Amino acid sequence: MKIALFIPCLVNHFYPEIARDTLELLEKLGHGVSYTQGQTCCGQLMTNSGCLDQARSSVEALGKALLKEPCDAVVAPAASCVVAARENLERLTSFEDFHSLAGKIFELTEFLHDIAPLDHPLKPLRKTVSLQMSCHGLRQLGLGTASELVVARPVNKLQALLSRIPELTITQPSRDECCGFGGTFSVDERDISGKMANDKVADHLATGAEAIVGYDPSCLMSLGGVVSRKGIPLEVMHFSALLNQVT
Amino acid sequence: MSQTHARKVETFTADEARVDWHSAALLALRDKRDLQAKSLPEWEQMRETASRMKLYVLSHLPELLEQFTSNCEANGMEVHWARDAKEHNEIVAGILKERGKKKLVKSKSMLTEEVHLVPHLEKHGIECIETDLGERILQLREEPPSHIVVPAIHLKKEEIGELFHEKIGTQAGASDPTYLTHAARESMRQEFLSADAAMTGVNMAIADEGAFVVCTNEGNADMGAHLPDLHIAVMGMEKLVPDADSAALLMRMLARNATGQPSTSYNSIFGAPRPGCQLHIVIVDNGRSLRMADRRHAEIYKCIRCGACINTCPVYRRGGGHSYDYFIPGPIGLAIAGDNPEANSEAWACTLNGSCNNVCPVKVPLRETIAYHREQLAQQKQLPYHKNAYMPLAGKIFGSPRGLSMAMAAARVGLRIMPQTLQRRIGGWSKSRDFPKPPAESFAHWYRKNRGE
Repeated sequence: MKIALFIPCLVNHFYPEIARDTLELLEKLGHGVSYTQGQTCCGQLMTNSGCLDQARSSVEALGKALLKEPCDAVVAPAASCVVAARENLERLTSFEDFHSLAGKIFELTEFLHDIAPLDHPLKPLRKTVSLQMSCHGLRQLGLGTASELVVARPVNKLQALLSRIPELTITQPSRDECCGFGGTFSVDERDISGKMANDKVADHLATGAEAIVGYDPSCLMSLGGVVSRKGIPLEVMHFSALLNQVT
Repeated sequence: MSQTHARKVETFTADEARVDWHSAALLALRDKRDLQAKSLPEWEQMRETASRMKLYVLSHLPELLEQFTSNCEANGMEVHWARDAKEHNEIVAGILKERGKKKLVKSKSMLTEEVHLVPHLEKHGIECIETDLGERILQLREEPPSHIVVPAIHLKKEEIGELFHEKIGTQAGASDPTYLTHAARESMRQEFLSADAAMTGVNMAIADEGAFVVCTNEGNADMGAHLPDLHIAVMGMEKLVPDADSAALLMRMLARNATGQPSTSYNSIFGAPRPGCQLHIVIVDNGRSLRMADRRHAEIYKCIRCGACINTCPVYRRGGGHSYDYFIPGPIGLAIAGDNPEANSEAWACTLNGSCNNVCPVKVPLRETIAYHREQLAQQKQLPYHKNAYMPLAGKIFGSPRGLSMAMAAARVGLRIMPQTLQRRIGGWSKSRDFPKPPAESFAHWYRKNRGE
């Protein structure tokens, strides 16, 4: 498939290794992958605070950059940015090409699970990981079945992908509760946010895992911040790093 | 302008052990709710049906109100319509005073909190006794509820023991819940026997029957309503349901979702006054019809006040119910009143994680309504936490690929040269978390160098 990478601003500037892992992984899986310069923010920083007007130029710049190269699908390694990009391209712009673009943006987990299912043989990896099922991916993108819902057959797409890695042990924290990041919430409500992040790290640690693995870099940044502050023996990583390593 | 929510939680969050205790108490309710919901395979279908039924009610309110009123009147009740809080309180005070009533026992009603009924009646010389145990504890403490279903959830049994020792004469230092409950029951019994009027709320008002349902766990509503010769029931007009089947559907969900019980212990349907007694119903608008006119806000009136969204809310559980400006805390409170510019930080006491939406038995779009309030406040330039100042600037920087790139490069340099000790003292984010270790270059830069254009 011809894929255009959408690399959200936080990943581009603070976690470039997540973008490189995503790029290499998709290439190893046989996709043609391109990246266009000039990508900005999905607008989430502004729209999360209700500032729709302030997000428009950012969303338009992102849309323009993504349209530079024709592709079958746009793939991003960040769930909440995918939710915001889709929603904001639809509601904040009136350009039809932007609206059809919104329809083909996929988060990496859903791309590998639903759009171009991962069927490559994977190398074994002896490691115990704890899944960070962040809220936007879980409840907006449906990457898993949230614990509140009464569903006969719950799904977890991240687990489904990672369970293809031989010898990998997958655990999950006792609750799929929010990690407390929430964009500017992490600054505005520093006490509650910090407490939530600490509780989430403790829950991951209690699983006995060596690493927290997730699909949302912003939540991972928050959890990583606690791990670093407290000197907790946990790696914090995006799942693209794991898959790239074993593909 | 009231204090920000972030500021208000500081006293509560300072005692981390208490935060953990509070959070665990509410999570226990959430866990019991999950067990009960999962015992019914048709749960999600029930939510969808209940949601549609309540949407039907909201879109047929005028007819249903008239139908309910005329059926109640045919059943021998008296029905009063109150435009607002003032009118409601005057109607209630009028009913009591005309009949020379001096003492009212009331069961739990969030509506009476909304309209500040008790202080109004006390001004008229009418004594009001809360008979729900949690509410009675709070009345003795002169404190507002911190939750709509378990109003005294913020208190420990030792604190209640001290209060009861001081107010109703229990043994000093006693905190055994059974002992305290028996003492409360005994003291309450005297109040029931000496009251000359009773008030209850309404859980569901059945339009085609002209009857209403009251659900409690303590039987206090029934004890109150069955002793004196006057019963006044008060309700917000959104409590209507078309028929008994609709009420039955909500009754299957209410207690399961609220406290994880298959049903509340006492479920009474009041359909007529007892012989020689009077039964009045006061139906209140108090701003509801105005707010329902806004489609993006209207669905909050599907709410059946089970409190499940509050129990699952990670912010509420860690910040406590007294950290909110509005008398209803948590997601539903923010969804109802989060657009109040006087308490403009409330709508930001939320991470938009959406767990509340998923537990709601009538599918109120809580997350989306809270986000909508943020939009409204942004349009009015009533943003909290300095957002009026920095959001336009952020919009400009993030809207320009060059500007964003330069700002982010500067942030990377800043984080690289700033000593760790200083980073920790910035506060906000870094109060409990380190900043990420900045990489040498951006992905865009790496790509240009290594993959060309």
